[in-house]
Amino acid sequence: MFISRSMTRKVVTVGLGATLAEAEALMQEKRIRHLPVVDNGNRLVGIVTDRDLRSAMPSCLCTPEEGNAGLSRFRDTRVEEVMSRNLVTLSVANTVQDALLLIQKRRVGALPVVDENGCILGIVSVRDLLQSFINVMGIGEPGSLLCIVAEHRLGEIKKIVDILTEENVSIGSILVSRHWDREKRAVFPYVHTINVAGLKKRLSKAGFTLVDPVSWYMENLARIPGKGDL
Amino acid sequence: MGWFSPKGPARNHTALLYDRRFLLHDTGWSHPECAQRLGALYGGIKNAGLLDRLLIRTARPAGMKWLEAVHDRSYIQKFKQACKSGEPYFGHSDNAMGKETFEVAKLAVGAVLKATDLVMRGRVRNAFCAVRPPGHHAGRSSALGFCFFNNVAVAARYLQKKWKLSRIAIVDIDVHHGNGTQALFEEDPTVFYYSIHEHPSFAFPGTGREFEEGKGLGVGATKNAPMPPGSSDAEYEYRIRRDLIPVMNDFLPEFVLVSTGFDAHANDEMADMALTDAGYAAVFRVIHAMAHRLCHGRMVSVLEGGYCLPCLARLAADHVRILLDE
Repeated sequence: MFISRSMTRKVVTVGLGATLAEAEALMQEKRIRHLPVVDNGNRLVGIVTDRDLRSAMPSCLCTPEEGNAGLSRFRDTRVEEVMSRNLVTLSVANTVQDALLLIQKRRVGALPVVDENGCILGIVSVRDLLQSFINVMGIGEPGSLLCIVAEHRLGEIKKIVDILTEENVSIGSILVSRHWDREKRAVFPYVHTINVAGLKKRLSKAGFTLVDPVSWYMENLARIPGKGDL
Repeated sequence: MGWFSPKGPARNHTALLYDRRFLLHDTGWSHPECAQRLGALYGGIKNAGLLDRLLIRTARPAGMKWLEAVHDRSYIQKFKQACKSGEPYFGHSDNAMGKETFEVAKLAVGAVLKATDLVMRGRVRNAFCAVRPPGHHAGRSSALGFCFFNNVAVAARYLQKKWKLSRIAIVDIDVHHGNGTQALFEEDPTVFYYSIHEHPSFAFPGTGREFEEGKGLGVGATKNAPMPPGSSDAEYEYRIRRDLIPVMNDFLPEFVLVSTGFDAHANDEMADMALTDAGYAAVFRVIHAMAHRLCHGRMVSVLEGGYCLPCLARLAADHVRILLDE
């Protein structure tokens, strides 16, 4: 899952000379929150976010005089004065997983993707990653979720997939999760069919436990050991 | 009840639309949407001694004009062609079909249209259409989840075009979300779609979340009540009272169409709900009372899912008793 497939390629950027008012108008028009700032050679030099702009705006607690003075400074200030220069970027060799981990670690809302010369190629926002997740989970298409508890040993998933295949069911995704019982795994196939009664019977017959999804989510999720416990 | 009873001509209160030809839609071996469903359902109504009290009518095929009020002409032609050439299914392997399926699907729509005519002419107060194939997953040009034509959707358009009604409510109590019906009317403020169903993260087709509330002009005329798996009678009844009644009081429907699926029953293996016979009756009583209060009881209930044969027999009999005001 290289990032080039998930990133937005038509990046909206501003030049170093743009004013904050111009940047704000652009963000509103394009309904975005991150504007990469580029130099004349399209090289990424900074990023300005809606939060940078808000903090540059006069406070709502200002008197009208203070507010007007602040607004006129806001209009005249160039983005290079407020943009972040300490950038977290990705290259096209990075993957969606890299983006997920980096966004979580650095607590940013978007990551520009640059080439070896620092020229901007694309941008990945949290929203793009969410879309990737929707695609990966297959939930954009009609289907049903099965919740299966399987022994944690080689070949169990294969057995499940074999049964689904024999039943002529197309699979949207299979998520595998840790189970509170370390000898077990919870397996969630998303299948593109309404006809789950027969599938469930066959899976039970093959020795799998079908879990009531609510008891799984509501009662047991908290019991799954977190990262720190392992 | 004789026609020349001392009290004057008997007027049936409720019509039952049923046609043996519905059994000809052959889904093959071990398919849950099978002809036996209707046999069980009709048998349940008969054994409860209810047939004499119903106006029983067979179906006539819906005309192309009405099918095209909802479905694309090219889709209808493709379905007809696929059926004629003996394809085992249409659109998706779930939608099994036989050589009669296209004609039976037209009959199912036609039965619902006939039921709406009987109600609008004042011949009966309400009707139950025991039809198959079901309809609520079918979209403008898509067959899905055993559905080919959207029976209820065509009836809504028919009521608006032929009978000049302005506001139609569709109440969908099948355990699965009626994604076809929702998509057909989500931009239309004149058809209110309400659905109570198993939460889409667990059940087919994966739509029907609370934040799906319509689009464009239709915002506010779609309402979804996704229920957690295992929901009980009390939870269902509470939910439908809490959120169907207020929106309908505002919308003021002139006619109520019900997509009646019996698959939220605890014994139905297609989903994970825990409704009992009593819970089904309670939910349907809420809808029935609402139709009485808001639109002179004008209501047509149309069979969607429900795959537990013994349950279908009992639930259908209870359903008809409620339509008869019992």
